[in-house]
Amino acid sequence: MRFVLFGLACLASCAIWLNFEPAILTAHHYRPHTVAWVHLLVLGFILSVVAGALYQIAPVAMETKLHSPRLAELHFVAHALGVLLIVPFFMLWDFKQVGHAGSLVFLGMLVFVGNIARTLNRAPRPDVVGAFIASALLWLFLAMGAGLTVATNKFWPILPGVPLHWTYAHAHLGVAGVFVNLTAGVSLRLVPMFSLSEIQNPTRAWWSFAFVNLGVAGLFWSIASGYAPAQLASGGAMVMGLAIYGVELGAILAARKRRRLDWGLRQFLAAVATLAPAVVAGMALAGAVALRPSAVPRWQTAYPALALLGVIVPAILGMLQKILSFLVWQRIYAPRIGRERIPALAELLSEPLQIAGFWSYLAAVAGLAAAAFAGSTWLAHVAAVLWLAAIVLFLINAGFILSHWFFPRVTRSSSP
Amino acid sequence: MKPTSTPELDAAWTRLRTVIDPEIGMNIVDLGLVYSVELKEGALDIAITLTTRGCPMHDVIIEGCRRALDGIPNVRESRVEVVWDPPWNPEMMSAEAKRQLGR
Repeated sequence: MRFVLFGLACLASCAIWLNFEPAILTAHHYRPHTVAWVHLLVLGFILSVVAGALYQIAPVAMETKLHSPRLAELHFVAHALGVLLIVPFFMLWDFKQVGHAGSLVFLGMLVFVGNIARTLNRAPRPDVVGAFIASALLWLFLAMGAGLTVATNKFWPILPGVPLHWTYAHAHLGVAGVFVNLTAGVSLRLVPMFSLSEIQNPTRAWWSFAFVNLGVAGLFWSIASGYAPAQLASGGAMVMGLAIYGVELGAILAARKRRRLDWGLRQFLAAVATLAPAVVAGMALAGAVALRPSAVPRWQTAYPALALLGVIVPAILGMLQKILSFLVWQRIYAPRIGRERIPALAELLSEPLQIAGFWSYLAAVAGLAAAAFAGSTWLAHVAAVLWLAAIVLFLINAGFILSHWFFPRVTRSSSP
Repeated sequence: MKPTSTPELDAAWTRLRTVIDPEIGMNIVDLGLVYSVELKEGALDIAITLTTRGCPMHDVIIEGCRRALDGIPNVRESRVEVVWDPPWNPEMMSAEAKRQLGR
């Protein structure tokens, strides 16, 4: 739970920061404040929430128990301290200290990967969900190793080729390798669970896994080496993997026994759908011949903005509405079931706020992406306000959920 | 699903209605998750199922059933078993449950 709270604090900080400095979206992406902001979002929000959720969800998804809760606590200390240090050091563009702070995050991540890997190893039935999660852990290990190497390379050049290419390769390993695998893997377990359905074709899911990971590996190598044809081929493999995943997700939803989807799930699915324009932007960049040279830097900002703010952040927020409710319910109400009248999961939060949050987030993403593509500062201002509003709505709902922790709503059952 | 009625069996069915599936927000009787309730020599044998395999609420719902059935007069113990045959499907729900699930 502390990972989730820390992550939400980082997300709120990102939203406020973007309102004060919309140039993060419109200026060239390789500048101290933008890089610092991205790391606050990726390490502070995304990775924290993913770690917190995986510590809870991986045992549920794999039908086993977490290997070591104590190691998870050690991970939190190293991770939170590392994130709180790395962001100001990026702002100061002090890569030696970035390396030190990054080592703390890396240390925590090693503990995390080991703990989850041992948990997966206990799973009674290894399946495609476990493969996606294990693969995400492998890419996480490599992405953070690559990030530390890029930081080291600043004052001790060891990497061949163009240093900025390695930075892009590191970013792709993180976004495509870690988060796409996680999104696909976790959703193949949770979407059926929440919509009362099941995986329709395990072989299809395995093909999706194979193509996605072939694409990730190829993208890393081809981006680092700057070899454009291989970037297109690897991007093609990634697109194929995502398309197969989309077909499977569609089949799962078509077979669901629960017709009405709740808003958390809808936000997650909208985020997954936003993968399509994000991938198109990425492929356009890979074949940069189609773009005017003056437009390339803006696309280089807009593409990751769409991937991060349009896909990964809302996918996490959508699932978090379910996961946070589940965690609080499990802790507070599960011991009372059958004895007292207790609320259902959906009653822990406000649906009107969910709806308002869903639509304002969608409008914000459209605005943020348009601002980044166009390099428009005034549009970035407006979209940043909308994004902050959507996040505040989410946080209010998170507050409603957490209030049940302190003030449970129960009445005695009138059993005979 | 209800066979011959006795005060103990009636009490059991009524109490099982206090156990909800928190994801759906509906009690397990109206969801059609309770397959049978039998009284054998002072012990209640309950057969229930869940909406999906690997449901994270598996243990919670079983424990909830035990808790709800605890203290029924003339019943010394209750045994709850999860079965997967026949698999649950939405047609097993009551009309009210179907309406809530948008069917």
